[in-house]
Amino acid sequence: MDYPTALTPENTLFILLAFEGPDRYSLAGGLGTRVTELSETLARRGYPTHLIFVGDPQLPGTEERLDGRLHYHRWCQWISQYYPGGVYQGEEEKLYDFTESVPGFVAEHLAAPAIAAGRTVVVLGEEWHTAEAMCRVSDALHNAGRRGRAILFWNANNLMGFHRINWGRLAFTTTITTVSRYMKHRLWAYGVNPLVIPNGIPARLLEPVDPALVQRLRQIIGPALFLFKIGRWDPDKRWNMAVAAAAQLKALGYPVRFLVRGGVEPHEGEVLHNAQQWGLRVQTVPASGRTLSDCLAALEGAARSEADLLNLKFFLPESFLRGLYAASDAVLANSGHEPFGLVGLEVMAAGGIAFTGATGEDYAVPFENAVVLDTDDPAEIVAGVLTLRSAPALAARLRQNARQSAARFTWENVVGLLCQKLEFVGRRSGVLPPLTAAPAGHGG
Amino acid sequence: MAREIVIYLVVHQPRRLKLPAQPIPRGARPPDIERCLFDERLNERYFRKVSQRCYWPTVRLLTELVGQGLHLAIGFSVSFLRQAERWDPALLQAFQGLVRQPQVELVGVEPYHSFLPLVDLGAFSDRMVWMRQHLAALFGRSVRVTDTTEMCMSDPIAHALSVAGFQAGLMDGREWVLGWRQPTYLYRHGRLRLFTRHYQLSDDVGYRFSDRRWPGWPLDADRYADWLTWAAGEVVVLGWDFETFGEHHAAETGIFEFLRYLVRAVQARGGRFVTPSAYLDTHPEGGYDLPLPAFASTWAGSGGMEFFLGNAAQQALFQLMLAVYHKARLTGDPALLDLALWLLQSDNLHLIQWFGRSGPEAEVSAYFTPREWWELGPNGIISEQQRVYQNFLGALEYYLPDQPPIPPDGSLPEPLAERVFG
Repeated sequence: MDYPTALTPENTLFILLAFEGPDRYSLAGGLGTRVTELSETLARRGYPTHLIFVGDPQLPGTEERLDGRLHYHRWCQWISQYYPGGVYQGEEEKLYDFTESVPGFVAEHLAAPAIAAGRTVVVLGEEWHTAEAMCRVSDALHNAGRRGRAILFWNANNLMGFHRINWGRLAFTTTITTVSRYMKHRLWAYGVNPLVIPNGIPARLLEPVDPALVQRLRQIIGPALFLFKIGRWDPDKRWNMAVAAAAQLKALGYPVRFLVRGGVEPHEGEVLHNAQQWGLRVQTVPASGRTLSDCLAALEGAARSEADLLNLKFFLPESFLRGLYAASDAVLANSGHEPFGLVGLEVMAAGGIAFTGATGEDYAVPFENAVVLDTDDPAEIVAGVLTLRSAPALAARLRQNARQSAARFTWENVVGLLCQKLEFVGRRSGVLPPLTAAPAGHGG
Repeated sequence: MAREIVIYLVVHQPRRLKLPAQPIPRGARPPDIERCLFDERLNERYFRKVSQRCYWPTVRLLTELVGQGLHLAIGFSVSFLRQAERWDPALLQAFQGLVRQPQVELVGVEPYHSFLPLVDLGAFSDRMVWMRQHLAALFGRSVRVTDTTEMCMSDPIAHALSVAGFQAGLMDGREWVLGWRQPTYLYRHGRLRLFTRHYQLSDDVGYRFSDRRWPGWPLDADRYADWLTWAAGEVVVLGWDFETFGEHHAAETGIFEFLRYLVRAVQARGGRFVTPSAYLDTHPEGGYDLPLPAFASTWAGSGGMEFFLGNAAQQALFQLMLAVYHKARLTGDPALLDLALWLLQSDNLHLIQWFGRSGPEAEVSAYFTPREWWELGPNGIISEQQRVYQNFLGALEYYLPDQPPIPPDGSLPEPLAERVFG
């Protein structure tokens, strides 16, 4: 889908502000992936794009990519050198430095020359860490008489840090956006009404998963119901609900193989304890390497056991992960609170059957392209799994529809939508010229 | 009638703290600690403003006036000199040119404009020796007479200056110190001879010149020259901030014209400008005994340390000054001790004198508080200022000899999968 837009690569400069970014050091949640892919998509479309993020202190302070259209600015490196544990270590120190130094740089060194060259400047800030910086960018542009040439969007990907945002100031200086209608409604509680621009996925994730890999995984798992869940060990992810559903299926006489991949969080202990109490045999599965064959070998070895729940303790490369998505009977992305639910969308892109929650997953339509869970009752998962098991045609249709639905959320499409929203705000605020009247006689 | 007049000007710019306080990274090296403590952008902005309004026009005028009979003494804080070196080297050269004139005497000032004399007398004496060597190298002039910080003087300070090798010091001529004596004579305490600033006549210009509510307004050079030459005694010592000219009193008040005609007006009444050293040379045995109290006097406010330590916020900050200085000493790291000395700068107490107070002194104090800080509100300024010191105390932790090394909690967390981080 290609939207016509007044914001062209010739007349627009994009500047993205985020704590997270493309460096391994800067990847912590989904934000790093989001800004990496968003900035790359903009640059591939031809827009000159700058991404300012808390970068790896060992890498160059600035870097050009994509024939000079994409510029990385690694910020806070002088602080990060003291905090090798990643982007959020030394968070307060970095926040101060980012807030204090980024606005002047953006206003004077990026925006000013672009505006002087006749461009419209678009500044996109992500998450609470950039909220005050965005306000100050606006102030700096205003003080320099350039605010009328810039569109500023600040985006909320989740609810974290909201207590530290001056909402009145932020809403006055920027246009607030978020990633789902659920988030829009949550933000109403803060007295703001954001625009909704969904998250995206790279187009490569829509490529079909290798059928041979799917077949191999199904062979490894055997005839049991194949369930999979990935995410931090966080109660919001409703791990206990998922484990209870697996236990209920087993109790109903359906053999289960439930593969889980969690993080390092202590909630794991509670979940696995519950799994055992509810009758699931649990086994930890390490791997000797990070390749697809390492992962398959590890899984094959573990599957020879009698375990119902295989707790994967190794990094899952994208090919293996997508194979699991496609091969599973159900991928339990059953969060109780999900601003957008990127995992569910990626499952759908792989042709998997996503069992999503019912919060930010706007892309999921019940029994059209996914199973949408309205409650935290494990029986709802059980019912969904057994329904699909009894109706293979329905399951196949869901898988097919899922891929089609996911295709609407490629970054290419999301950027098109973003430009539409920018154009709307730009015209309303006078940054862009107003729409002209329809030609005489048009529309009767 | 006093026929001899000493004019002393002190050139100083504070090294302002960075507010709100910037958190200091764990284990930060001294240069990175330094960038968290001080707001150099703010300092540059103020320096450039004052440079344009005051330093350049005044130094040009004084250079002109020394050729017409003006003699004067001038002191520089290293705080000012560092800023000038960094942001306006040509200005520093202009000052060097002024100081090279034989009619101009270079006077010492506590280098960082700090309250080190109240904190560590021995270290203060050593720093004053260092200052004398530093100024000699920078200006090519030797220093015989010295100020301290805010003209602080007491019995212990006077002895520290003697030990450091100075022949004379400058102090404020307050009644509570002088008693029955007049400020218009040369005094001595031990081996140190003392010039006592005539604070009423000084403040007529320093504080009151542009005050339209003052009965003496408008003050012209002729009338002021009358007051100077009519004063009973032998020598009138006038001490002013250099920034009196063009900054405390804007050019529009007529302050530059006042200064320009003052030289001629004094000469017309038989008065003579002298430098402190010239006066000492012509009075080699001069100096009446002056007992000095253990409590320091100052030229600020009503002349006692209550201007700097008179409210709870100042007392708390002074305790933090003591803490950072002594903890920095425990580290044995000269770079950290240097930062602690900067944090002893008197201005940090001066500019919160207004806390819980009102009236003219509070107005003066509030005038020196950077206007950018007022967004924090009065309580916010106090708490953030304290936080700068507390952050520094925390940063020193890693340099203490009895501390274990910083734990290497530095590995990046393993992502769950490609593209899935949480």
